[in-house]
Amino acid sequence: MSDIWARLRVRFRRRSRHEDLDEEVQSHLRMAAQERIRQGESAEEARTAALREFGNVGLVKDVTRDMWGWRWIETSGQDVRFAMRTLRRSPGFAAVAVLSLALGIGANTGIFSLINTLMLRLLPVRDPESLVELLHQYPGEPRMNGYSWQSYEHFRNQNHVFSGLTGFSPSRFDMRGGGLGGQTVDGEYVVGDFFPVLGVKPAIGRLIGPEDDRMGAAHSAVAVVSWSFWKSRFNLDPGILGKRIVVQDVPVTVIGVAPREFFGVEIWSRPDIWVPTGLEPVIDHASQPRFSKPLALIGRLKPGVSIEQARAEMSVLFQFTIEEMARNGKDPLMRHLKLEIVPAGAGLAFLRDQFTQPLLVLMALVGLLLLIACASIATLLLARGAAREHEMALRVSLGAGRVRLLRQVMTESLLLSAAGSLLGILVAYFGARSLVRILLSGRPIVGLPPHFTFEVQPDAHVLLFTVGAALVTGVLFGLVPALRAMGTAPASMLQGAARPTQARSARFFGKSLVAAQVALSVVVLSLAGVFTRHLSDLRNQLGFERDHLLLVSLDTAHSGYSAEQLALLYRELLGRLDALPGVRTATLCSPTPISGAGASSFIDVEGYQQKPEDHRYVAISWIAPRYFQTLGTPLLAGRDFTVQDAGGPRVAIVNQAMARYYFADANPIGKHFTIEKDWKNVGGPDKPYEIVGVVGDAKYDDAHGTPPRTVYLPAFGDGRMFASNFILRTSIPPDAATGEVRRSIAEILKGVEVGHITTMSEQVDAAIVPERLIAMLSGSFGTLGLILATIGLYGLLAYTAARRTKEIGIRMALGATRGAVTWMVLRDALVMVSAGLAAGIPVALWSGKFAGSLIEGLPQSSALPISLAALGVIAVALMASYIPARRATRVDPMEALRYE
Amino acid sequence: MVKPKKELYQNRIELLQGTLDMLILQTLQWGPQHGYAISQSIRGRSGEVLQVETGSLYPALHRLEKQGWVTSQWKQTESNQRAKFYRLTSGGKRQLLSEQARWTQIVAAIAGIMNPAASGSG
Repeated sequence: MSDIWARLRVRFRRRSRHEDLDEEVQSHLRMAAQERIRQGESAEEARTAALREFGNVGLVKDVTRDMWGWRWIETSGQDVRFAMRTLRRSPGFAAVAVLSLALGIGANTGIFSLINTLMLRLLPVRDPESLVELLHQYPGEPRMNGYSWQSYEHFRNQNHVFSGLTGFSPSRFDMRGGGLGGQTVDGEYVVGDFFPVLGVKPAIGRLIGPEDDRMGAAHSAVAVVSWSFWKSRFNLDPGILGKRIVVQDVPVTVIGVAPREFFGVEIWSRPDIWVPTGLEPVIDHASQPRFSKPLALIGRLKPGVSIEQARAEMSVLFQFTIEEMARNGKDPLMRHLKLEIVPAGAGLAFLRDQFTQPLLVLMALVGLLLLIACASIATLLLARGAAREHEMALRVSLGAGRVRLLRQVMTESLLLSAAGSLLGILVAYFGARSLVRILLSGRPIVGLPPHFTFEVQPDAHVLLFTVGAALVTGVLFGLVPALRAMGTAPASMLQGAARPTQARSARFFGKSLVAAQVALSVVVLSLAGVFTRHLSDLRNQLGFERDHLLLVSLDTAHSGYSAEQLALLYRELLGRLDALPGVRTATLCSPTPISGAGASSFIDVEGYQQKPEDHRYVAISWIAPRYFQTLGTPLLAGRDFTVQDAGGPRVAIVNQAMARYYFADANPIGKHFTIEKDWKNVGGPDKPYEIVGVVGDAKYDDAHGTPPRTVYLPAFGDGRMFASNFILRTSIPPDAATGEVRRSIAEILKGVEVGHITTMSEQVDAAIVPERLIAMLSGSFGTLGLILATIGLYGLLAYTAARRTKEIGIRMALGATRGAVTWMVLRDALVMVSAGLAAGIPVALWSGKFAGSLIEGLPQSSALPISLAALGVIAVALMASYIPARRATRVDPMEALRYE
Repeated sequence: MVKPKKELYQNRIELLQGTLDMLILQTLQWGPQHGYAISQSIRGRSGEVLQVETGSLYPALHRLEKQGWVTSQWKQTESNQRAKFYRLTSGGKRQLLSEQARWTQIVAAIAGIMNPAASGSG
């Protein structure tokens, strides 16, 4: 510290210190001269001799000053001032460079900060790296972390791989008492050793321990609250300890406050209260003293135990869970449940599993974008650097050190990248925020609370990343011009004659840079094309027409109507809605397509022998007549439901996938099947349904994947109603019909609230948020990349054309036509673009394949997007070369030859 | 050649650094001195063998001062000139002792290699 102060003091006395050194040198010279005078030399001779003996005064001072430290700051300061002056002289270039860097670095930082939050940032607990979580996966479903208490006890008691295995279960808690008004907060039931296994120390008081967690016992009536809860509700009053509060009507004692940074192990949740699992039977008035909710399990690996070892042992123990789950149902796929052990140091994997893939795709795209920006700026710098060759040569001749020259040029690049990064941080901050908003704007994700969020806070990782990106880009685009400046040969450069040969390597390099930009742009643009196509496939290959569909769901929970009354009123309302102006047809269904929710059951098809292991769920949809007409799903055979079906024999319509699976080529009409009893709404087992119609395949609960085997059942039957969502096909924009719809509902169903009105397009879009995001961003990045490449191309062509003024003048004087001159410039551009395409197209093909291997359902062939991208690049390149080409044709031969 | 001489100077400092520092400290042992006198003294005591370049001397003095081994003060010389006198600090004295020890060690070691049989001959 004192050293720094000393340096600072010295720094502020710098002026006097320089004078001091001057004086010291002068006194040396004086004494040396005096000595010579004493020995009999003349004053003049003595002075010259002393000076000669001393050497180069300036240089001696220079190396002496180097000893003071700070020297590098001084020269760096000079370099920065010099670079600023240079950049100010070409504000257009500076603005383009800084802006493209801001976008490039900003986009990279933004995406990285999300990746950092989701995947990299470690939990604020002891030794987070040895934490793992236990996930199980049902074929085709996301990985889940939820186990029964029995499974948990089995794992805990039998395993040899964990030094601790603990669990928790998120829940919502009503809290009151202790000075609190009534409120509902997020909280967690935790196993007694939850905090000890994580190694968390309390802010005040103590945390829940094993002694607090006894099933249904009074011991368990304790709670730990979060730091933010303590702050917002108790103003950090230590008196909170020992307070009695009421949680879900059960009085508990607050024993401690969790540390400020602790939020559990799910990065998307911020629980305010933790209670022992032992309290759950009390809260839920359970008949048995046993925790009944699914428990998320996390373990701490014993030292020296690898994840593979843990997986091997736990897979054996997991058979217990499989048996347990398989006992409860006929689903043969339950036997295929797989256990996985994954690191949990950065929090539980669930959100990561949802968003990792789109984020990595975006990261790759912004990485390419930044490369294009680098290449573009390098091209411009190179063109400018070539224009400054004269200046560089002059400075080398005047004795400027090459290293210093290199430093100066690099300073300019780093200054640009620093300015770009500063702006980029702003871009990243707002970008990341809106990105999170968009990512979470979709329909609720099963397994996550309905309105969750996660905070993207820049931390040391992110800052390091930005600084790294700035440095790397600065060096990347600055190095080549800098090396060229270093290689300046002073003598030949000052003789203007040597110019064209000198510039050849630079021109070649510039051309390669432009070609690289073209190549990268084609890659990004073609990927954008692939993603856009994928999005359009998802939107349009649903098996129904998503446009002009209005979805209306009603909230009948507190209406007081009986089921029978509702069935009648819904029918009346359906008739009214059907007749509204602007409405083509109206129908009812449950669940609505692509809502994320579904119903499914096992069925037995008459005459079809099914092995138990082939048992699969079929999707079930309850629909009113004219559903297929409304949605635009084709009726392939048989008939639609009619109003009469409500009272008649049981009928069903199946989709093509189901018909093909069970009946192959035979006619399914008139065949029968029964629905197994585990679906409660169906009204009893064993009564067969007769198939009366076959319809085209349509996506069911999700826009992804192939349509499942689907059974459609009548919405009305047995005097009841099984479907409660209206779907209207409108001839006017669907939103415009909502007013009339609301009025009709208010008239017919008095006291019933409109739960939710939306359009099918919105519902579909909510299911494909990551794809929309990727398509949108890759499109913008592709466009941006193309613009940057165009700027690079234009810059190089304009510069080359300007340099060739003399040559062009001679050519024109010798009779070259304007067309020939134009062609000369265009040919240059075309060569660069062709080279770029030659390099870019194979890479684009490969990237398309690679993306296809990552993302299911991506279009197999990227030939069309690549062709389009290539055509786009050629068109834009020709436009960019038009201005330089025209300028070249305007060269007046006489003017050009007079030059020099 | 356009290559600036500055690098040459720095190279020489590099070579002489440890030794030159030691010589300066040794010279200052007999009392405060200014730069010119130090260079004269080293030259004299070495029998005109060691010429101390100013381009090495002043950087060395400023470096030693920064390390706290010497302090400086403007004073009058006997011939009534103003000059900057350097004085050994207690830290500098300790440094000198350790450098002397190291130097003896190096000399003995090199002598042992260069002249394994007989004792060193200058």
